[in-house]
Amino acid sequence: MKQAIWFAAAAGLLFGTVGAQARTKLAALPQRESVDIRMDNADFTLIEEERILTLRKGLNQVDFAWQAVSIDPDSIRLTPLDHPNGVRILNVSFPPDEAALVWEIASDGDWAERVRISYLLDQIDRLTAYKAVADKDETKLDLTAYLIVRNFSGEPFDNARIRLDADSVFERDLADGQTRRLLWTQNRALPVTKVWTWDSALQPWDPEQLERQNIGIPVRYRLVNEKAAGLGRAALWPGKVRLFQDDGHDSTIFLGEDNLSFLPVGEKAELYIGDSRDIVVTQRKIKEEQINIRRNRREQIVLYDTEEVLTAKIENFKDSPAVLTLIERIPGQWEMKSCSLPYTRKDAETLEFEITLPARSGDKPAVVQLEMHYQRKNVRP
Amino acid sequence: MKRYAVLLWMTGLAAVSFAKVDLVTLPASESVQITIYESADLTLVRDSRPLTLRQGTNQLQFSWAGTLIDPTSLMLVPQKAADQVDITDLSYPPNTVNVGIWTLESRQAGRIPFEITYLTSGFRWRAFYAGILSENEKTMRLEGYVRVFNQSGEDYENAQVRLIVGQVHLLDEIAELARRTWPYGRPGEGVPGMMPQVQMERARLAFGAVKAMDEIAMTAKPKEIRKEGLSEYFLYTIEGTESIPNGWSKRLPSFQAEAVPVVNLYKFEEEMYGPSVIRYLYFFNDAEHHLGQTPIPGGSMKVYRTVSKEGHLTYEGGCEIKYIPVGQEAELNLGPAEDVLVKPKLMDYKTDNYRFDDRGNISGWDEIRTVVIEIKNSRPMPIRLEIKRNFPTPYWTLENRGDSEKVFEKVDLDTVKYTLSMPPQSARVIEYVLTTYHGVRQEDWTRQNQ
Repeated sequence: MKQAIWFAAAAGLLFGTVGAQARTKLAALPQRESVDIRMDNADFTLIEEERILTLRKGLNQVDFAWQAVSIDPDSIRLTPLDHPNGVRILNVSFPPDEAALVWEIASDGDWAERVRISYLLDQIDRLTAYKAVADKDETKLDLTAYLIVRNFSGEPFDNARIRLDADSVFERDLADGQTRRLLWTQNRALPVTKVWTWDSALQPWDPEQLERQNIGIPVRYRLVNEKAAGLGRAALWPGKVRLFQDDGHDSTIFLGEDNLSFLPVGEKAELYIGDSRDIVVTQRKIKEEQINIRRNRREQIVLYDTEEVLTAKIENFKDSPAVLTLIERIPGQWEMKSCSLPYTRKDAETLEFEITLPARSGDKPAVVQLEMHYQRKNVRP
Repeated sequence: MKRYAVLLWMTGLAAVSFAKVDLVTLPASESVQITIYESADLTLVRDSRPLTLRQGTNQLQFSWAGTLIDPTSLMLVPQKAADQVDITDLSYPPNTVNVGIWTLESRQAGRIPFEITYLTSGFRWRAFYAGILSENEKTMRLEGYVRVFNQSGEDYENAQVRLIVGQVHLLDEIAELARRTWPYGRPGEGVPGMMPQVQMERARLAFGAVKAMDEIAMTAKPKEIRKEGLSEYFLYTIEGTESIPNGWSKRLPSFQAEAVPVVNLYKFEEEMYGPSVIRYLYFFNDAEHHLGQTPIPGGSMKVYRTVSKEGHLTYEGGCEIKYIPVGQEAELNLGPAEDVLVKPKLMDYKTDNYRFDDRGNISGWDEIRTVVIEIKNSRPMPIRLEIKRNFPTPYWTLENRGDSEKVFEKVDLDTVKYTLSMPPQSARVIEYVLTTYHGVRQEDWTRQNQ
């Protein structure tokens, strides 16, 4: 098997030279005893490998070369494990125009020394991908996480321990050019909430203005990374989620896919699965007039308030109840005079309504009406 | 084997035909010392050689083809019997590139040690570091290294290596001087004539081959690096000698400090870092932190953390560090920390206290903003966090809500800072009301604050 990273040890007594001669007269070519590929850092992969070096008492010279492999040379470390006090690294030399180095190692005895070599390796990384299967009621989600390890580093690894965190270790061969998808975690029946979201800044207000076109209302599954939800041990890594739903016939349908962002413990994520056409929102502004007008000496308006009324009709054509998140925005300074539904103020200009819609009755959609009467204050022309 | 050649021939005649070499000796180098600067492409070489002189005029030819030696820096100094030897001139013969001939008048015959010194370019060195954090991230082992690169065109065997930290002032770049056709240029020439860059041979020579067994025994431990301050410089002298052939580089450990106390500090400042929280690591270069004997030269640093009893590591991040004088604090930026969230939200905005001028136009007003900052530490360890807020005007007043006042501090005329200690897996909220004064209301603010 081709190995781009190779090792040669030459005892100083036999080969007192470093350079071209010693590099071709190999005394030993110790294989890797073990290798750990540490992938907990999203940007850098740390390789820790153990080899047994045959050291002689006195000076030893050890070659480490990494042709066609991108290693950060400053990151290369060698640690003796069996005789940490009896084996000392004196210096490291780098030959010209070569991806290689030569360690000069002093040993107090003739030892077969286990050493750990670590380095940061390029072109080897990991991705996370998820498969999520919702139950038929869309209240529970089976979430399977896969780890995708891509090795284009130029270096093959046999029996590598691929480490992600304290709990997650995989033992696999990883050839150069190989991509492996590994089953990482499986979480069954995670509670999810299906949410429909209509945002007044993003969606058209009046479907009647759009001839023969549906207005899609984005649908998402809301998932919380918490113990109560069966998660909460660690952050979820970012990755693509493919969503399926149990179709009730021992099979599934594909719902859609979305990217999950980095999700720390305690945070919630919403996975977009597509648009719903079964809920229709028709919003109109029915009043906007200037009041409390302040003019300067030349009769120009310098400051005024507004009186505004906004209505929204929400229709549910589904045969099941739904919860719609309706987002309204009022810029600047404002005061609510009356509002037909309760809301949460998310920030200075964002109002969020969580509206529970009953199922349709017979052929008629369930309808909920919203009316907001508010004044905007201190508006300047 | 040295690539440049020192040729000595002795003659009683003052005039010597340069093309005719009567006697050639190649005195071996007794010792070589190279002093490599960090801030410029500059290395001082001292090459000690015993020369066998005869009474009268002696000539010494020195050639440096294929190297990056500055010919104007060449000096020859007798180490003994200086009163017996006059070095009368150094000649750069015509049409003979990279050759210099010294004329020595000696009043005695015999072996006299000399030192040839010159400046060369093509060497450089840099420092780099590895910090290995303990599992609880309260201390780290700090390992310092230097890496010396030799692209000088010359092999240096068994040379004492010294490294200089500090800014050096040069009028000419040594590399430029080394490339001149004529060492000092030509009359009337404003700019020195340029030669194509010297092609450096890449012949790789074995080094260390002659290392004797007694030396092996003597050097069978990592070398110490002696550190001392000189003028505005800091000098690092590597124990013993090193052989660095042309084209090679060499890494040497410069120091190691155990259990250096470190402070992890997380910073949030939108104008500086955007929406991410940035993780910083701090340590002092002083005795209390098991350091402080010398300044720490600037260089790249990689930070790992110990994650098991078997000493396995994980990579935490890396950055460049600047030169750290003794007693100063080092700051390492380890990049964004995804597991610490700081989310400021403007929760309310209003204007008030309008003032109007004689013409009825607006001349002053206040803006009142209520801001809530949600903070979450999802790391499994406690953290210290600094949140800076910059205001668009120096005319402001701030009312802290809840216990935000306890962690509040004014930094400058338009910046405030909140410093928090967050337990593991915890969340909290800071709330403040900021009133900014505009137009003539700034005058009211000034009156109130006088």
